[in-house]
Amino acid sequence: MFPADFSYGRARSLDEALDLLAAAQADGEEAKLLAGGQSLLPMMKLRLATPQTLVDIAGLTELTGVSNGDGTTIGALTTYRALARDPLAAGRLPAMTDALAVLADPQVRARGTIGGAVAHGDPAADLPAVLLALDAQVRITARSGSRVTPLDDFLQGVFATDLAEDEIVTAITLPPGAATGSAYEKFEQPASHLPLAGVCAVVTVENEVITLAKLAVTGVAGRPFRARHSERALVSAPAARDSLAVAAASVAEGVRPLSDQHASGPFRLHLAEVLARRALARALARARRSQ
Amino acid sequence: MAGSRDVTVEVTVNGTPHTAEVPARTLLVHFLRDRLRLTGTHVGCDTTQCGACTVAMDGVAVKSCTVLAAQASGHEITTIEGLAPADASGDGLHPVQRAFQEEHGLQCGYCTPGMVMAIRQLLADNPDPTEAEVRHGLNGNICRCTGYQNIVAAALSAAAHLREA
Repeated sequence: MFPADFSYGRARSLDEALDLLAAAQADGEEAKLLAGGQSLLPMMKLRLATPQTLVDIAGLTELTGVSNGDGTTIGALTTYRALARDPLAAGRLPAMTDALAVLADPQVRARGTIGGAVAHGDPAADLPAVLLALDAQVRITARSGSRVTPLDDFLQGVFATDLAEDEIVTAITLPPGAATGSAYEKFEQPASHLPLAGVCAVVTVENEVITLAKLAVTGVAGRPFRARHSERALVSAPAARDSLAVAAASVAEGVRPLSDQHASGPFRLHLAEVLARRALARALARARRSQ
Repeated sequence: MAGSRDVTVEVTVNGTPHTAEVPARTLLVHFLRDRLRLTGTHVGCDTTQCGACTVAMDGVAVKSCTVLAAQASGHEITTIEGLAPADASGDGLHPVQRAFQEEHGLQCGYCTPGMVMAIRQLLADNPDPTEAEVRHGLNGNICRCTGYQNIVAAALSAAAHLREA
């Protein structure tokens, strides 16, 4: 299987990448950025995507790596493999470590990037659930300037994001957090390894009372989403199994579930509740240990 | 035009530099098989799931059906043909290949090159894996003959040999 014909240009700098995007637009061509290509190339082979131009940005080392300052900044071109092996991310963000161990497979993790996971807008991508629960922000650059937007606003629908054709995601930033427990749980489609449902929980507990709870779900709806109803039910609740079960029961409150050949809507909703319970329990156990 | 439909690929494969002009849409696996006649790398599912096309790019295992030849330009590729060092003692096999032979880790052999390349990476990352870690670490490779039992045995045997080496 070949992708449909396209023109290829390799950017050697962020400036050049923006130039190549602008040139394609000037020619009236649909251009796509190519990073790891682990989602885009399979879609192109199936003709689900037929861009006329690919701008290869994989070599832009200025967009790779993890740094800690006021929070954590992860370069958009940091691969899953690099992220999993980075002490700044792996040690401090247990839910991220959970997700990176079960995301796709080792070969795909060696190429796929965190920026791609976000920019692609796949409703069943693993990492957006973790990033949503960690209140991630997306850094975006264009010729006209740079901007930062919450991931929750950036994700819009099935393969739809708030990324204009002349823009490039340059980094994901995570705000500095208090010591909390976090965990990611998924139930995967065995061939694609994509989650039929995946849930990330972040919990802080003080004196056996939950003081902060964040819950995000992927694979269930048209876009990964925050389960705000469950979060409200958890805050100020006793750190007990019953509280977690009550909150998990409303994890997909008001959500219209995806339904396809892999799983029906009701099955996805059931998975989301079970996984929310498990993720909350593990996050809570980790929060207690980190006290 | 923001790019070109034909690209010059300069890539080192198994230690030998190659330069070729190919259509931009050429996948690395086809470049290896059709241009360089290195047919040890197989095309299985062609959809990034089965792992039969696994090669090492700059020393890290990737699926060559989901990498453009153009993306590999400037990088080093190792295929199953180049896995064993040139001065391999005696049988010319890499320890993972030898373990597949000793443990009967294959039946039809179609998935084998990809399995060997994936296990090389697995053991490079984790020299002393548990059986569960081997099984999870091979979730990017599919075998339809063996039920995986002897592939896992080969990985564990190769791990032991490599640790002693």
